[in-house]
Formats: sequence, C-alpha cells, structure tokens
Amino acid sequence: MASITLEELLAMETACDRDEIVDLRSLETVSNYDDHLMCPICRCPFVRPVRLQCDHVFCQKCLNSAITALAASRDDFTCPTCRTPTRGFYLNVPRLLVNMCDDIRVRCPFRDEGCSEIVPRGHVQSHVDKYCGYRLVDCPDNSCSKKTRKKDLSPEGRCLHELHRCLRCDDYIMEQDYEEHVKELCPSLKTNCPDCQTSVFRKALREHIDTCPEVIHPCAASKYGCPVKVKRAELMTHEKICPLIAMGPYFEAQNARLDSLELTIRHLQQRNEIFEDGIANIRSTLVQSSRALTEDDGPPSDVHTLPTSNPDIPRRRDSSNNQSQIDSSNLYTATTTNYLLSLHESLREEVGQLSHAITDLDARASMAIMNECLRLKEDMAHTNAAVGSMRMQVQWLMNPRLHQGQRTGARPNNAAGGNGTPAASASGPSTAAGPSTAFLRPRRLSDSGREGTKL
Amino acid sequence: MFAGKRLSKELLKLQEHLPPGITIVKSDNLEEWQMDIKVLDTNPLYQNQIYRLKFTFSSKYPIEPPEVQFIELSPATESPRPIPIHPHIYSNGIICLDLLSSAGWSPVQTVESICMSIQSMLTANSRDERPPGDSDFVSHNRRRPRDIDFLYHDDNV
Repeated sequence: MASITLEELLAMETACDRDEIVDLRSLETVSNYDDHLMCPICRCPFVRPVRLQCDHVFCQKCLNSAITALAASRDDFTCPTCRTPTRGFYLNVPRLLVNMCDDIRVRCPFRDEGCSEIVPRGHVQSHVDKYCGYRLVDCPDNSCSKKTRKKDLSPEGRCLHELHRCLRCDDYIMEQDYEEHVKELCPSLKTNCPDCQTSVFRKALREHIDTCPEVIHPCAASKYGCPVKVKRAELMTHEKICPLIAMGPYFEAQNARLDSLELTIRHLQQRNEIFEDGIANIRSTLVQSSRALTEDDGPPSDVHTLPTSNPDIPRRRDSSNNQSQIDSSNLYTATTTNYLLSLHESLREEVGQLSHAITDLDARASMAIMNECLRLKEDMAHTNAAVGSMRMQVQWLMNPRLHQGQRTGARPNNAAGGNGTPAASASGPSTAAGPSTAFLRPRRLSDSGREGTKL
Repeated sequence: MFAGKRLSKELLKLQEHLPPGITIVKSDNLEEWQMDIKVLDTNPLYQNQIYRLKFTFSSKYPIEPPEVQFIELSPATESPRPIPIHPHIYSNGIICLDLLSSAGWSPVQTVESICMSIQSMLTANSRDERPPGDSDFVSHNRRRPRDIDFLYHDDNV
C-alpha cells in the first residue's frame, strides 16, 4: 500500500494546481450522477480523489483545506465523515471510481461565449486546450488588454478590438463583432411588420406597431365588458355603433360617484369611531365615580367592576388628543358634575343620619352602664351587710372561748409563783391588741401541759 | 467562492427533496438562509409549533461552521415563531450544540444535516427548562454565537 503522510499530501497540492486550466467544480453537469460519486465536502464529483485509512474518499483539494483549517495540530486530524484519527493517505483509489467521475457529461465552460459542446468531464481539459473555438484568449496585441475568442483570432495576429464605425447606424463596433452586427443586429436594418407586412426600420418597429392599421386592437370600452377585438382600421366603425362606448361617460360618472360615496362613508366611519370612544370614556368616568362612592360607604362590594372599567381608561387617554372628542366630553362633564353633586347631597344626609344614630347609641350605652353600676352597688351593699353580720356571729362564737382561755391561762401562771405575774402583765396589753393572738399565746405555753386533754 | 458553489449545490438538492418537517423560508443570497423546522413526533413541549432557524455562512463554509440560531417572530404576526424551550437553547435563540462549534464541526455536514440534528435534539428533550443562568446570559451577551466558548458537557442529547 502506498501510504503517504500528511505533509506530503499538503505539498502535492500546490504542484497539481498549476497545470489546471478548468475549474472542474464549477462545470455544469448534464448527465445525472450517483450521489456516492460526490465529495461530501464540496458536493461535486470527486476531483483527484484521495482515500483515508478509514476508506472514506475526498477530493484532494477539499481534504487539504479541511486539514489546514480544522486540525489544531497536524497529529490529531480526524476523518471529516467518521472522525477516525488519520495519519495515512492513499492516492490509489479504485480506478473504477475515477473512471465514473471522469465519465460524467459536462458542458464546455465557455458556453456563454457560444460553445455548445458537451463532453465527458475527463476530456474537458483537452477540449478547452485544443478544440474549443470559443475559449477566451489574450489579444495577440500586447498593448490591448481585452480577450478574444480563439476562433476569432486573426491569422496575422492583429488586434481585433479596434472600433469601426457602422456605415448605417453610426455606432462604433469592434472589428471582431462587425460582421455579426451588419448582418443581424444593426438597428438601421429593415424588417417586416408581422401584421401588415410593410418593411420598416428595425428601430422604428415599435412606433410602427403602435400605429399599424392591421394590428388587432381591443375596443375602447373593453373595460366595461365589450368583447370586440378588431383591426385598428375597423375600430372606428365599431366604436360608432358599440353601445358600451355610448354608455362610457355614464359609467365614468357612476364610478366617480361611487368613489366619492366610499370616501364619505370612510369619513363617517371615522367620526363614528370618535364618538364611540367618547361614550366609552364617559362610561368609564361614571364607573370610576360610582366605585369611589361605594368605597366611601363601606367595604367595596363591587371590586369585580374594577377590571372591566380599567380598559376604558387608556382608551380615553388615547382619544383625548382628538379635538371633537374633547368637545363631546366637555358636554358630558356638566351632566357628570350634576350627578356627582346630587350624590354628594344624598351622602351628606346619610352622614347626618349616621351621627344621630351614633348619639342615640351612645346615650343608650351610658344608661345601660349606669343601671349596671347601681345594681352592682346594691349587690356590694348586700355583701357588705352579710360580711358584717358574719363577723358579728364569729365574734359572738369566739367570745366564750376567749374567756375560757383567759381563765385557764391564769391558773398555771398563779401556780408558777411570783415570776408569773410579769408574764400575765405582759399578756395583758396583748389581749387588748387582738383577742386571737392574746388567746393563742398562753395556749401554746400550756400545750405541753394537760391543757390539750382538757379541751 | 468555494462557499457559494457548495451552497448553490445544497440549495438545488434541497429544492428537489426536502426532509420532513423542514422548509426553506429564505435562501435568496448565499450568506444568510432561514429555515422553518418542526418536531415530528408527539413531544408535548414542541407540538404544533414551528421554529425558525437563521443560518449565517462565512466565506469559508463548509470548512468553517455556519452560525446557526433560532430567531423569534412575534406571536402577533400571522406566522408566530417562538424560541423552543430546551436546556441547551437560550431564550435569545443561541444554541449550545457542539456540532456548531469549530471543534465539533466537520465539513461533511450540510444545512440539511444541521436541521435534522436540531430536530432530533428537540425530539429527545423532555425537560421544560432553559439553560442555567439563561437570564444573565441573555441580558449580558453581546457576542456572536461563534465567539462564545460553550462547555459541552451533556452527551445525552
């Protein structure tokens, strides 16, 4: 296998490019060719195909440009189709493939110059080189920069780009085109009118057709439906009797009237739109004011009217620059003010009623409070009395015990001897301070004795 | 010159036969094309929607990748074209797809193959979301798609 490296491949291209006159990729193909013969990069039949390790085939030139543009470093070039890393390239693609590509029929690249030759692509190079008479070559005169067709080259090597004056039409024509001009293109040549067969100058033919009496011409009333088409000479007689021609002016007038009516309708439509805008505007103002009132009265129950009234607001703003709009809205503002004033009055009344109700309520509330207070006072007096009587009862119940305690307390004191007297005298004032404490203290003292059992 | 020839060949081929769900909208010059694509299966994210792709070709196409992004036509017009929702498509239409970067590009790709790749990228998606940091990127990005360094991390699409 003759594998070459990437560097060798890149070097080959410049060498091959030089001896190529015809750009095989821009040729127009005539025969259909299989899509498999197409290089996936340039989408043309392969030109000098190269095969990669992975058996994918590309034009050598396409592959070169892909390598130079894509591979960051030359080592990691991957096949554009299958992305297999590739180091080796093979120039020996199957002969079959090359033959099929070369067999595709193409047009000669100098078709625009007049060559109608269709040749296999493999032969285009030699066709252009040797046989094609329409190939453009440099003018043999070194001072002339124009190109000339190969077949037009004069045998003596003269420049054929010199300008000659046409004797008939006064135009300047290059020598190489002179013959053709005189025979076919010169405007001063005579030609026959296709209708009346008179011979006229080529340049005057157009004017002649406009006036030629033999040319078929439609009736002037064709736009109103007259189907007649006659020669121009007979047109006059037809137009005299054509009923549609007679009706012509009437149709015109009707058309004009329709147009003006349409215009008026459009104006009216515009006015109507303006008025509708005005009405919408007023309506939105009303909705807004009524909403404001209900909000004053209490919790807004009509919140749902908010979104419906909103769209009206921008619309009013849009139309407010319209003059007539302003006029109409002025007219409506007066009635709106009246309405608002009446609403204001009714509101004031309601407020008065409310304040009455509030004072009434206030009086009632204070009466109720007073009543309640009196009742409470009475209750408290009763309770006081009850508490007083209970105290009295307790006192009365306590009294015998108190006296008993004093008596038992005096007895041990006396038995204890002379030193019991200061204790008794000390307990004397304490009995004056409170009967309970005075009663308890001597009792505790006697607790250790047989006092408890006695109780 | 190379780009022009190649594109006119592609155009001829496309006019002969268009893959399903792909239509040419504008191809009157060889620098910018616009294509409409639809997702063919019943993915609910993209059903009954048509999206518009804008291709911008440099003179080095197909050696260099074209610039491809979605463009939006307002819903008010008679042919609304939204930007499809996808975790790799920003809401300004820029597509994060390695095929469109110079690293992932290969000159054998064509307009047709790009359209089909994007179609299948949409078909395979089930997530109803934009890429992370979408709003940031959309409001700050003034670069052209080809100058952005995307990080291609998701091999599932």
